Amino acid sequence: MQVVNKSLERPTPSAGTDPIVVEGLSKTYQVTDREGGFGAAMRSFVKRKFRDVKAVQNVSFRIGTGEIVGFLGPNGAGKTTTLKMLSGLLHPTSGTARVLGFTPWERNSGYLRAMTLVMGQRNRLSWDIPAADSFLLNQAIYRISDADYKRTFDELNELLELAPIIRKPVRNLSLGERMKCELAASLLHRPSVLFLDEPTIGLDISAQVRIRAFIKEYNRRSGATIVLTSHYMADVTALCERIIIIHHGQLKYDGKLADLSRRIAPFKLISVTLGECSDCDLTPYGTVVPSESNEASAKHSVQVKADEVATITARMLAELPVIDLTIEDPPIEDVIERAFHE
Amino acid sequence: MFAIYRRLWQVNWAEQWQYRADLLLFLTGWLISPIIFMAVWTTVASAQGNVNGITAPEFAAYYLVLLLVTIATSDTTLNSLSYKIMGGGLSYQLVVPVHPVLTQMLVNNLASKALQMAALTPIWLILYLLFHPALAITPTNMLLALPAITMGFLLQFLANATITCLAFWTTRGGSIMSLYGTIFSFLSGQIVPLTLLPLFAQNAAAVLPFRLALYFPVQLILGTFTVEETLINLGLQLIWCLVLLVVFNLVWRAGLKRYSAVGA
Repeated sequence: MQVVNKSLERPTPSAGTDPIVVEGLSKTYQVTDREGGFGAAMRSFVKRKFRDVKAVQNVSFRIGTGEIVGFLGPNGAGKTTTLKMLSGLLHPTSGTARVLGFTPWERNSGYLRAMTLVMGQRNRLSWDIPAADSFLLNQAIYRISDADYKRTFDELNELLELAPIIRKPVRNLSLGERMKCELAASLLHRPSVLFLDEPTIGLDISAQVRIRAFIKEYNRRSGATIVLTSHYMADVTALCERIIIIHHGQLKYDGKLADLSRRIAPFKLISVTLGECSDCDLTPYGTVVPSESNEASAKHSVQVKADEVATITARMLAELPVIDLTIEDPPIEDVIERAFHE
Repeated sequence: MFAIYRRLWQVNWAEQWQYRADLLLFLTGWLISPIIFMAVWTTVASAQGNVNGITAPEFAAYYLVLLLVTIATSDTTLNSLSYKIMGGGLSYQLVVPVHPVLTQMLVNNLASKALQMAALTPIWLILYLLFHPALAITPTNMLLALPAITMGFLLQFLANATITCLAFWTTRGGSIMSLYGTIFSFLSGQIVPLTLLPLFAQNAAAVLPFRLALYFPVQLILGTFTVEETLINLGLQLIWCLVLLVVFNLVWRAGLKRYSAVGA
């Protein structure tokens, strides 16, 4: 039986009501547009030209209670803009969104008490004072009782090992330490919806792993719904069963991460290590993927269609001096890169 | 609600202490011009006997009270708001359930004011001893000055907050703030007593609200107003505060729709 810590649990919305429902959401920014150079600068001073940038176009999706969904897309794809609309920072140009039954950009205080936004590139904590002081301020702002505050803090402390770092001024913390404090400050009020915009950006591998483990554990304990953007594929593969891919402001894919490979890249990689074979040619079996080493005994990879894997493997085993053979899914980065451009 | 103010106060006070050297330098720079005005006018008045009926000790009294009222009513943090709007730093303040301006900025103002007042007091006492002002402050005037100073501060705070909101549209609100600051310092009595301004400027000052923010509380403390005049001016202050509160809220809401939360 799974041991669930009771205190982080919160009542979940009744069945059938997804906490996040987005329909036809669009956001167009108006930006000034001018060419470089002095002449263009003077012309722009007299008469400004504006250009519409469609950051998000007609995006719709629903997210259920307790899901962790990864928002993926290249820089400027519109994922952060979507996240900002859902957290109430931006008003959309058109479309609707309901989060926990609230319209986010109305910034109802009931909504603000039930959600949190963590931006990896910005500080919530006051720079000059210890995080402990900012935590107490949040206790007051979110009206958390002393007993609840202590219980939540103790749990966050257990997961993030905060005690040694919260008495130092935030400016003296390392990036990883600061992110731990940022996450703790954002979760003291036990939000049931979390928007995490690149929470591991700039962190070293071990700090990334710890933050990831924390997010997963928080989700398991609290049943909170989490929407996450990240450029680190490891964040996504470790945390998100479901991903939403946005590119040029449009929704390109919404579904299970595992299904994406099948849909976008219906091929597998067969990697073989060959014995003595000076004139072995792999091209008849599939597309040869450039290998890192040129030695004759090195590992070679060919990309083949998923439904031909069995036949081709059998042929390779019969026709080539195979020492070792593995069948792999293509790297997820490649699959997602393909999805962006499909 | 009280707990929020108390904690905000503690955080802001701790932050202000971090910047105490900066604050002292700011205060020193800021004090130079009123002290020079005071020195010039008291010298001129001493030589001539008076200027437009104002004697040297009366000039000294005016500027010394002005120093205190300016610190008590001035609004020091709203430039940081325009920076937050333009740079996207406002984002985190918008996702917590307290008002970024009417709660957070207000308390930040009060904390910096408290520290400035503490730093100004010894300097003020030295100036008092040096310039021999004609100060006869009565308890009634002091009592009436409390609401006058509070509303004087609220007037400046709300007016600045409204103007700073232009940063939602212009991305560079600094020049507008600076133009407004110049007009304010002339018509609020910050540079010279309003009775020394040219007649057209006096007429403008009489109908505009700037004098209510500074000149009125100063003159109230100096005892130049009758009870009736005091009550009328307090009433005008209250009306302007309410008008500005409404205007600020309208501009703030319209501005938020345009907020683009730049950067990250």
